[in-house]
Amino acid sequence: MIRAPKEKPVAIQKQYYRRKKVCKFCVERIDAINYKDVKLLSQFVPERAKIMPRRISGVCNPHQRLLADAINKARNIALLPFAAE
Amino acid sequence: MRNYEVMFIVNPNILEEEIDKINSQVEGIVTAGGGTVDKIEKMGKRKLAYAVEKFREGSYVLFTIVADGPIVKEIERRLRVMEPVIKYITVRMNEEMRRLDKIKAHRAKRAARRSSAHASSAPAEQSAEEF
Repeated sequence: MIRAPKEKPVAIQKQYYRRKKVCKFCVERIDAINYKDVKLLSQFVPERAKIMPRRISGVCNPHQRLLADAINKARNIALLPFAAE
Repeated sequence: MRNYEVMFIVNPNILEEEIDKINSQVEGIVTAGGGTVDKIEKMGKRKLAYAVEKFREGSYVLFTIVADGPIVKEIERRLRVMEPVIKYITVRMNEEMRRLDKIKAHRAKRAARRSSAHASSAPAEQSAEEF
């Protein structure tokens, strides 16, 4: 039986250009991530009320830690929900 | 002495004067213990993100104080006992403030260095860069 020679996969070219994500807090020079700033924090809690992962939001590690801390404080005082209802 | 923020939520159905009474009590605890109250902010009624003791909304009050651990402990004990207070949180702020001061100083230093280097060449560009 003769088999067709296996073709080597051609290097798939990137079909679209993905924009590099940048950390909002670094770019806009936001130093203080305060737990009272619901408007800012709610940008990082999508519908399900979970904290948005870094791979999606593009926030850098130091800022993500501060952000998570602030969100948890805000949850504690009922400014942000623990879970969507 | 440390900087703290004490935030608590009061039952939305009680009168304004009752809130003032609670505020003056808390203030009394702080001053009696040797601390100082920097600011009392009544943030008004807000919708709660989830139901607390069957309340869907609450009146928020924020205290910014300089105090010691025992004072804060006493405040928390009293808030827990008070009937109209439905939730409270105490946040220590001095480390955060120190961090922010450090960043600010760092920025000021860099801006100063940059402006001295570029002072003659491009003052317009420098102001744009700074932001």
